[in-house]
Amino acid sequence: MHRFQHSNFSRLLFFVLLGGLLFLAGNRVDELRVYQGATLAMYVVAISSLILLTGYSGQVSLGHGALMAIGGYSAALTRNYLSLPIWLCFVIAILTAAIAGAVLGTAAARLSGPYLAGTTLALAVGLPSIANQFGFLGGEQGLLFDVGMPPASFGSDFSPYKWYFWIAASSALIAIWWLQNILRSRFGRIWRAVRDNEVAAQLAGIHVGKAKTLAFTVSSGLAGLAGALLAMTIATVSPSAFPLTLSFALLTGAVLSGVTTLPGVMIGAVTLVATPEIADSISRRFASSENVTMNLPGLLVSTLLVLVVLLVPNGPVEQWRSVRARKSAHAAH
Amino acid sequence: MFQLLNTILIGITSGAIYSLMAIALVLVWRSTRVVNFAQAGQALLSTYIGFEVIQRFDSYWIALIVAIVAGAAVGALIDVLFMRFLFSRNTQGPIAGVAPIIATLGLLGLIRGGIGIFLGNTEASIRPPVSNVGFTISGHTLAFSPLKFLIVGAVIFLMLALSLIFQRTNIGLALRASAYAPEIARLAGVRVDGIRTLGWALAGAAGAAAGMLQTPNGDGGLSPDSLDFSLLLVFGFIAAVIGGLESLIGAVVGGLLLGLVLAFVLTYVSGSLVFIIAFMVLILVLLLRPSGLIGAKRGRRA
Repeated sequence: MHRFQHSNFSRLLFFVLLGGLLFLAGNRVDELRVYQGATLAMYVVAISSLILLTGYSGQVSLGHGALMAIGGYSAALTRNYLSLPIWLCFVIAILTAAIAGAVLGTAAARLSGPYLAGTTLALAVGLPSIANQFGFLGGEQGLLFDVGMPPASFGSDFSPYKWYFWIAASSALIAIWWLQNILRSRFGRIWRAVRDNEVAAQLAGIHVGKAKTLAFTVSSGLAGLAGALLAMTIATVSPSAFPLTLSFALLTGAVLSGVTTLPGVMIGAVTLVATPEIADSISRRFASSENVTMNLPGLLVSTLLVLVVLLVPNGPVEQWRSVRARKSAHAAH
Repeated sequence: MFQLLNTILIGITSGAIYSLMAIALVLVWRSTRVVNFAQAGQALLSTYIGFEVIQRFDSYWIALIVAIVAGAAVGALIDVLFMRFLFSRNTQGPIAGVAPIIATLGLLGLIRGGIGIFLGNTEASIRPPVSNVGFTISGHTLAFSPLKFLIVGAVIFLMLALSLIFQRTNIGLALRASAYAPEIARLAGVRVDGIRTLGWALAGAAGAAAGMLQTPNGDGGLSPDSLDFSLLLVFGFIAAVIGGLESLIGAVVGGLLLGLVLAFVLTYVSGSLVFIIAFMVLILVLLLRPSGLIGAKRGRRA
């Protein structure tokens, strides 16, 4: 017990140190990189929410883009109509998405793989159309979402992008730290048990439905946070900010990260941030048409997704680990 | 009164197209136990092939046939190139169960992106081969035109052809056998792999027909990221689930039911709620009748 608390504390220390490092790094690089840093942090939160769902409780969601939209819209609505402080908007974003996730999760807990995938896909395709139904959601243009200027005490050269980065990075750190803790707790063990063998988990006295619903709720809350962060970085929420391709990109990120390894989340997030830039430089090098520029990022993401699922289904990290384990076992003989 | 009749007619026409898509999903599900989300991409690709044929030969009918054949070929290719490989490698690990789903999604993105790069996002369009002006009866315009008649006719024809294949031929027997009990079918001398590919091919053909019929039935526009095809996929899936995901007749009934419900929402409630209502129908069916309204009995589930 004592050791557990100790490792808990050292992990907290590690995250605080990491935060300090990130903060220092934010001062060293140019504006574009700072902005990408904020996007990276957003993807870290979004992908880890999907990793929690798929890797730790064995459910698959193709609709996390929709849950992000719920988070983004609730943050923007509370900010615009109630002018709440920004941190409260984020909390509300998390809560609203979690409630939506709990409702969806109650249905989802009774669904197996293909049904759940189809249901969440239906949600991702259809949810944006609601924005056109209700006037206060702003239709196709969407709503502005302004997190405000950084506090004056940070100095005058503290740019808005740096402020975004600061908010996004600290949210990501807190989220990951909390997630790691919950995965090491009773709930984490329950989810893994359910993922590995539902019948055995049930025999051991676990309420499988409740465990799954809880996983879906927590995952949705995190997705809501990611949605609010995304809305912050692009300063608006609109149906086109949460397209179907976003859900696919998140799934690609999660699969690339190796769905069962939370620390691998950086691989997925970096890939997603880097893809548009790589696509851009490819299409510029070959001076290609608008068609290529527009479609290359999506094509790259999908190609990666297919290749990873076909070749290294458990993620590159896990693959490398198991190959190394096999080699060392071989050497021991 | 006329509005009611028109609503029913619209519902039947769009429902018939959803049925085709649902049949495509059911065929793949029965043969491979995968919900093929790439089906929308396959339909899109086949419809683009049909569009190219129309440009060359200026005939919708040749294009329809070519698109259906191409759709079958694409379906078979996907099974041979991707699915066999996937199933041969991917048997364990925490995501083994969801890997096929993820793979078909990746394929969907791949096809959409590929079409976008090679053919562009500018809208292509397919003009209706016959008039889409409604018949008039005693001064009232019916929401039923020669085009809609053609659509319903084509769907009925394809369904009859499919059920003949399934019920009356040896290949159909093999298809059913490999769906219900692949191991026993293999022991009985059925080449299960080949039969599975055939299932994918038939599904590809049905999806292609759905795409070729849906495009002129809508505004005729065709683009890689068209919402039409995403909706076709989602509504097809919902229709298949209503029918229990296992049965072809179920898929048809599910498609028609969904088409009717959505037509009523469209006419009497609001156009932008169509989607949400469809989603609610899906959730309701899954919660109340998870094996579908006319789902097969448990014992027969493979």
